Amino acid sequence: MSTSENNADQMNGELDRNMLEANDLTESQVAHYVVDLLDHHAQHLTAVTAKRLSVARSLAVNQVARQQTANHSGVLSWLGDQIEHHRTMSTAVVVVAMLLAFYAAQHFSSNANLENSDAFLLASDLPPEAYADKGFDTWLVSKTD
Amino acid sequence: MATAKELSDFLESIERRAFKQTAYAVRDDHAALDIVQDAMMKLAIKYADKTTAEFPMLFQRILQNTMRDYWRRQKVRNLWTTLLSSFGGSAENGDERDPLETIDVEDGSDEPSAQLVRSQTIQLVERALEKLPARQREAFILRYWEELGVAETAAVMGCSGGSVKTHCSRAVHSLAKALKNKV
Repeated sequence: MSTSENNADQMNGELDRNMLEANDLTESQVAHYVVDLLDHHAQHLTAVTAKRLSVARSLAVNQVARQQTANHSGVLSWLGDQIEHHRTMSTAVVVVAMLLAFYAAQHFSSNANLENSDAFLLASDLPPEAYADKGFDTWLVSKTD
Repeated sequence: MATAKELSDFLESIERRAFKQTAYAVRDDHAALDIVQDAMMKLAIKYADKTTAEFPMLFQRILQNTMRDYWRRQKVRNLWTTLLSSFGGSAENGDERDPLETIDVEDGSDEPSAQLVRSQTIQLVERALEKLPARQREAFILRYWEELGVAETAAVMGCSGGSVKTHCSRAVHSLAKALKNKV
């Protein structure tokens, strides 16, 4: 700060003091006078305090940078999860479709087997009840004799 | 959402005032630094998604709450210290002072008489501020130093706008009285 600025500062200080002495300062003027003093004083902190505040600020800013990076990678991982989820779901749908197809094929083939056996039994000489009848063998032997 | 650069600029613009404001309230520079650091971290962790326009009020609210937490802890700690003080001597006498702490970062004023006048006045103002009731000091600093509106100050302090005006008026009258007594 130059000497002229110092003198101006000093003159302002004197002026303020005179104004205070004259008892004609409004509430707002007193407040601003005090705030100017406080502002000026706050700019002249010790080196250690200034350094410590700077470190605190850096820590806070780094925290935000980390959060923003984490959020960014969070979006990517969410997308990855969704894709992975869709892949899993697609696989499950294919497996279920294969099981249904297998079941349907089994169902239809067993029906065809039943139809075939029925047709065989109907087309044979003896009715199926004949083989279940206990007296049939005896009757057959007597007939042969 | 504010960027890291915007947050850094905001914190840089308020850190010194925040430190002094806290130091006037807790009357301990080390504690004031811890409180300001806590408040900065809380702002960064919880409110980084807010816009920069919201930062001043949010930061002040966080700072005030962090100060209140400090006072609560101090109250409990003081109780135990009082109880246990008879068992040990004071550690303060043995503390070594860091010479850097007493060196001011460049003071632009070269004129010794101007420095003396300003230094005396600021000491007087600081003492007067420290003597103010906590709510008056809080209202004065938020309203005039942080330049918050009456409604914003009331929101930070958790009181009505009328109370803010009353606290501010009483604070200014006390400060004016202290200054007049000096001159």
